[in-house]
Amino acid sequence: MKKVLAVALTAAMGCSLLSGCSGGGSTGGAAVKQTEAAKETTAAAAAAETTAAEAVDASKYEVTEPITIQWWHALEDQYSQTVQEIVDGFNSSQDLITVEPVYVGNYAAVNEALVAAHAAGTGLPAITVSNTPYIAEYGAGGLCEDLKPYAEATGYDLSDFGAGMIAATSYEDKQVALPFLISTQVIYYNKDVADELGVTIPEKFSDMDEYLEKVSIVNNGETERYGCVIPGWDQWYFETFYLNNGVKIINDDQVTTDLGSDEAVALVNKFKEWCDKGYIYWANGTDASSIMRQNFIDGKAFSVSHTSSLYNTYVDKCDFEVGMAWLPGGDTKNQEIGGSAILIPAKNDQATKNAAWQFMMYLCGKEVNMKWATETGYMPTRNSVLTTDEGKKFLEEKPAFQCIFDNLDLINPRIQHPGWSQLATIWKNYMAEIMIEDVDIPTMIEDMVDEIDEVLGDA
Amino acid sequence: MEKKTSFKPKTISALKDFACVLPAIVLLVIFTYYPICKLVQITFTDWNLLNDTWNYVGLKNWIWLFNGSGTKHLLNSLRVTFLYSLGELAVTMGGGLILALVFNRLTKTFSIMRAIVFVPKYVAMSSAAVVYLWILNTDSGVLNYLLGLIGIPAVDWLGQRETALISVLMLTTWRTLGYGMMIYLSAMIGISKDYYEAASLDGATGFQQFWKITIPLLSPTTLFLFVTTFISSMKVFQSVDILTQGGPYRSTEVFVYKIYLYAMEDFRMDRASVIAIAFFVLLLIVTVSTFKISNKNVHYDS
Repeated sequence: MKKVLAVALTAAMGCSLLSGCSGGGSTGGAAVKQTEAAKETTAAAAAAETTAAEAVDASKYEVTEPITIQWWHALEDQYSQTVQEIVDGFNSSQDLITVEPVYVGNYAAVNEALVAAHAAGTGLPAITVSNTPYIAEYGAGGLCEDLKPYAEATGYDLSDFGAGMIAATSYEDKQVALPFLISTQVIYYNKDVADELGVTIPEKFSDMDEYLEKVSIVNNGETERYGCVIPGWDQWYFETFYLNNGVKIINDDQVTTDLGSDEAVALVNKFKEWCDKGYIYWANGTDASSIMRQNFIDGKAFSVSHTSSLYNTYVDKCDFEVGMAWLPGGDTKNQEIGGSAILIPAKNDQATKNAAWQFMMYLCGKEVNMKWATETGYMPTRNSVLTTDEGKKFLEEKPAFQCIFDNLDLINPRIQHPGWSQLATIWKNYMAEIMIEDVDIPTMIEDMVDEIDEVLGDA
Repeated sequence: MEKKTSFKPKTISALKDFACVLPAIVLLVIFTYYPICKLVQITFTDWNLLNDTWNYVGLKNWIWLFNGSGTKHLLNSLRVTFLYSLGELAVTMGGGLILALVFNRLTKTFSIMRAIVFVPKYVAMSSAAVVYLWILNTDSGVLNYLLGLIGIPAVDWLGQRETALISVLMLTTWRTLGYGMMIYLSAMIGISKDYYEAASLDGATGFQQFWKITIPLLSPTTLFLFVTTFISSMKVFQSVDILTQGGPYRSTEVFVYKIYLYAMEDFRMDRASVIAIAFFVLLLIVTVSTFKISNKNVHYDS
């Protein structure tokens, strides 16, 4: 008996071990290859956009000595070829700067590494990506170099970026970053089913009832097809519903929230009603994103709210036509910027910052920007490309992006407040609990508002 | 003629002893005591990790923790961390003891089986956690697949308050069970057979021998396992970070993860520091209390 028990336990532990051996896949990472030093002049890549400036001493921002710099990014394995091609393109376009791309991990990992290096004052990259919500806090903390003098010195045209994008990467009149891989919230939907049912994604939040009733399939309390999946793991996906329906989230006094207002409570009740009816699924938890995607791919969800950067992924994985629509609005139909910006840490020495600026101009230049947009799901960031042949070609290849191009001016910067990150964590936690569990909603909202007010007041 | 020295031999010996431990003291001061002192200092400031300067804010952070909105989170983290620790203690000590009894045979086959049970301890936590992410996946996880075979519907292991902490403990069990077993096994082998022979002659049953001989003589090992497992379990972070990120709705927000969130996500180094110091004091109290209590109850074989 003892022997049988021992064998059974060994087998159980061994199986887990074997699964451990077979399942531990790579977390990905771009190959870090250094290319040969190249040929032309430093600013050649951005030559079309640079002119001599008079207001600042341009010589201060010139690269005069050979230098190798690191670029921290968060682009996973599937983008490693694009990353390498772009870096190789820059390295061979001039002969002074060699860029080494370094995959650090996801945006949270980049944030951790960057903040730690900044606090220590050592080990900083010359240039790094950063998720857009961090920009305000980095700006307030003096982590980022102000890019305006660099732009002036090199004649770099910042006005060609979308106004919302420039605002999203500024802090108190300082241009602390540049828009890099930009996305916004959209609704992906099953176009085949939509055509069959004769429905379109409503333009108004108030029309969602009728739409959800039509597209959802609920039998005896069991949902066979959700009308929509809302990503509850990140408040970015549902905050525009609030902003477009009269909720400011942070009041003008900057120390209180209006998430307890009648408008906000009405939205919570409406979401909860849809959850209870089985019309929407509030995706939350570690697996939430993949579960949501899989539900959509398998036809178990008619539509999902997600980032526009995943357009290629959805199209590749679905065996039906994928439609993309602007989120239903309210009094307004604004949306917010997502994705990443690119910045230069202020604590670097001037030679490193100058080299980083040259690479930044290249990364955000029109041609390279279109390459990013074509090979990833991110949006073009330059207004001028929209009317060019490249822009037209992009739309021909990805016609679904028309809904974004039509509304570019409505893509706004994120709310900037030193306490925003804490607010967001509290908000999404309460929202998930309200939507998934059976709780007393007024009490929960009251607790949430108290907690957020305390955070805002002390930020 | 011997050279006269102004130091007494006792003093010279003491100085030599001190010189021997000096390198260790220097390293401890630099890497342990100085950071602790710095951390205490930060608790009285408003440092946000990004700014190079800070302002002193008196007891504001301490008041926030013990008489403000921080209290709620402190109590939640305390509850979650203790629950997790209880689980890990039960698995490592209880499970380890049971396995040690089952695998207590000195044959080649059993050696191989023991090795299989023990090896997960050496799989990196981050790798193991990623594998468990897949095992516990609601739609495509092995666990739900196996449950489905016996008619149990899929469980959202990591997305529900009721199962999230249990899921983290599943990973812990897989990793630490073998460790507890090995520690107990090595202690069991050290118990003299004479005790058991004498007890058999007196007519003691197997259970009586286990209860009256094995358990008391394992008490130093039990104390060692309790203290080391308790302290390590209180510091759990990686598995939570990868599997649940403190969720759903703070139900797995253990102490260290809470400190991490305040410092690295919210940039509130001041609040992270105050929780870290409270955590440090708590661990100190528990460890000292354990040793005080155990002095009376631990039996050391002469």
